[in-house]
Amino acid sequence: MTDSSKDLESEMGGSPPKTMDGSMTTFLGSMWEQITGFFKWHNLRRSLIQVGWAIMSIILALLVASLIMLGTGFNPIVAFSTLIGGALLQPDIIFWWATPLILTGLSVALAFRAGLFNIGAEGQLYMGSMAAAIVGFMAMLPIFVHPLLALLIGAVVGGLWAFVPAILKAYRGAHEVVTTMMMTYIAVPYFTTWLAAGPLRDPTLIQPQPQTPAIWPTAYLPELFGSFYLHFGFIIGILCVIGVWILLKNTVLGYEMRAVGLNEPAAEAAGINPKKMIVISLFLSGCLAGLGGAVEILGYYHRFYAGWSRGLGFDGITVAVLGANSPMGVLLGAIFFGFLRAGAIPMQTVGRVPAEMIDVIQGLVVLFVAAPKIVEWLAKREISWAQWIRKEPMKSLPIFLGSLFALIGSMILLAMAASMFGTLMVLDLIPDLPTLILTDPYMAMHVATLSLAIIFGVIGLYVFYALLRLEKRAIWAFLPLSIVLIILGVVNTLIFGGSLLIPLLVIGILGFVFAIWSYIVVVRQGVIFGGEF
Amino acid sequence: MQIIDVLFWGWIIQATLTLGTPLVLAGLGGMFSERSGVVNIALEGMMLMGAWAAVAASWYTDNPWTGVFAAIISGLILGAVHGVISVKLKGNQIVSGTGIILFAAGFTTLMLWVIWGTAGASGQVITLPEVRVPIIGLVSPLTFAMLALIPICWYLLYRTPFGLRLRAAGEDPSTLDTAGISVENYRMYGVLISGMLAAIAGAQMSIGFGSRFTIGMTAGNGFLALAAMIFGNWNPIGTLFAGLFFGFLQAISYGVQFAPGWEWLIGYSSFINMIPYISVIVALGIIRRSVPPKAIGVPYIKEKQV
Repeated sequence: MTDSSKDLESEMGGSPPKTMDGSMTTFLGSMWEQITGFFKWHNLRRSLIQVGWAIMSIILALLVASLIMLGTGFNPIVAFSTLIGGALLQPDIIFWWATPLILTGLSVALAFRAGLFNIGAEGQLYMGSMAAAIVGFMAMLPIFVHPLLALLIGAVVGGLWAFVPAILKAYRGAHEVVTTMMMTYIAVPYFTTWLAAGPLRDPTLIQPQPQTPAIWPTAYLPELFGSFYLHFGFIIGILCVIGVWILLKNTVLGYEMRAVGLNEPAAEAAGINPKKMIVISLFLSGCLAGLGGAVEILGYYHRFYAGWSRGLGFDGITVAVLGANSPMGVLLGAIFFGFLRAGAIPMQTVGRVPAEMIDVIQGLVVLFVAAPKIVEWLAKREISWAQWIRKEPMKSLPIFLGSLFALIGSMILLAMAASMFGTLMVLDLIPDLPTLILTDPYMAMHVATLSLAIIFGVIGLYVFYALLRLEKRAIWAFLPLSIVLIILGVVNTLIFGGSLLIPLLVIGILGFVFAIWSYIVVVRQGVIFGGEF
Repeated sequence: MQIIDVLFWGWIIQATLTLGTPLVLAGLGGMFSERSGVVNIALEGMMLMGAWAAVAASWYTDNPWTGVFAAIISGLILGAVHGVISVKLKGNQIVSGTGIILFAAGFTTLMLWVIWGTAGASGQVITLPEVRVPIIGLVSPLTFAMLALIPICWYLLYRTPFGLRLRAAGEDPSTLDTAGISVENYRMYGVLISGMLAAIAGAQMSIGFGSRFTIGMTAGNGFLALAAMIFGNWNPIGTLFAGLFFGFLQAISYGVQFAPGWEWLIGYSSFINMIPYISVIVALGIIRRSVPPKAIGVPYIKEKQV
């Protein structure tokens, strides 16, 4: 055994599994070890940290999304309550949305474990769905055989669409990010649309949207629990999660794929053929994406519409990234995004917040996950705060509550500034603002309040950030912040007839109390910040 | 040659320039970023954001040039986000780019609701004043800006210390670091220039040859620009020709619908539109003419000082 293969083993945390050439009993025994191993403290702790990071990213994304909503004049509390309520009323829609996301997420995650970025899952999904639709309406086959054949062919065609970039990557060195993306643009707006509009167009329909004929009912996937949306594809998705998990953890192939992904030269020195692994893993990845398209056609749409998916393949990247490229993470991530999608329509119809807010949240989640250092830093701060609160509750609590007050207060101030700015914008007063300020005392008051709200809103945000960094000086900003909150509440109500008096007064007075309390604690008991955790 | 042919080819040249300008501009942007070693698939999102910012600013001020300015600002902001995540925080560049694309798509649609209260398209705004050129017809001022930028970019990249350092950051960052120059700073410059140029490209799409913003109006042009940059082998002159060639193909696919004698092509305009993507795959994988910068996509982490 060479040195580099020893390096590889220590990097991978164990020797390769020897299950595929062993008997069934050793295979089951090794699976049992894997399952019990999952609950061993070390592994559990690692997965808990992963989950914690994902949750932190989601929370940060929701916070920034709330700020955007406040800035654009929507109420985040209404938005989130209608989103959550609406999604919980129709749980079948959550899992219906999650079904293709599980498969495309697995597709991206599997390729990523082999060190490849399959950014073109969207194209493979379209090719797979087109192939499944063609088998669905052209072939006359008995029940059971028909959907199985359509799924198989859909998966294989999806895989073949990824096969071209795989060959080019392995043997010609063309970067897979570029080639899979180009293959997607060939497939989605041009090739499948041309097929659905030209040779395969349903001749009996007069709708302008390109679409193929409907598939035969023998090819339908059965519904689950009598739901209109949820179909057997969800079970297929779960089976694929388990399958990919076993593939990655328990088979020689999965071990070799992960080895190539972690350290290609070492893998090659250990006798693994990286080119073969690149081709196999991208092909399997394309198969999963194609299967994702096929189950949606057979289970719900029942025919191919040009442009039916609107980015399920790209959402797969989000799901895989959020799920840290592990099969279980992908399952949870897909259900989370399914939840957001299911709640988007109630949020728009009941809460009057555009459904596009979900896309904004999704982009923000990806951005926060892309920069693990932000989340890592925040997690460390959270842990040190939690330790401090447990150790010395009487000293830490007022400062902790004070920082929360600074955050909430600054959000209210920013929202107020945004709505006042919106008034100016609607009345079209911005171009001649300089003259208005000099001539009209009411306008001058308006602008002064606006600027005060912006300045102290930003200060409040900074105070929250500084207290996370355990900077002691920040607590001196509590008092001015609370006083400004109270003053602005009074001004807003008495002069402009606003309705923010009660919330601003409550927050302001609470902030005042926390400010005095933390000053007493700091002065009397000499709290030392930083260094001690 | 009949008068109708002259008109048709004049129109084709005009359309090639108009449709090629955003591709070349965004392609130049992508070139600066990738030459400095940062993959920028976020061009699509930056273009979309620039297109929206241009329309929004000219809507409020009735002046299209403030629109171009606002587009530049929005591009710089998105470039800074991409730069901070992928250069300063050493995050994954492709994941960050994907996040920016998703965010820009959602945010611009949301703002369409907020400003104009409609789901599909914005209100009409004043377009940039076009210049009349004989035979060709009206040409957007940004097209002339694009043509002027090509020699400027070439000079900047190949004949100045700035360009040398930028290229070194993408080819051999550790040598640049040994010379005492910050790799991070030059990568940030690359990404910022990239965001700015991509946003101007977006402005050309929204207030250059249209007069409104519609949902997802860039429709893959960001990736086409990326393709033009790769097909042009990561240099300004190649990017110009590749971008104009792709613009020409787009113009043909529109043109066949009304040009006499070209009717037989109407059913196959999808295939004309596919040519750019296929040519990139061929250039990158089969004839291997395009060679990317060596250190592209790898965050540079300084070695620990002993």
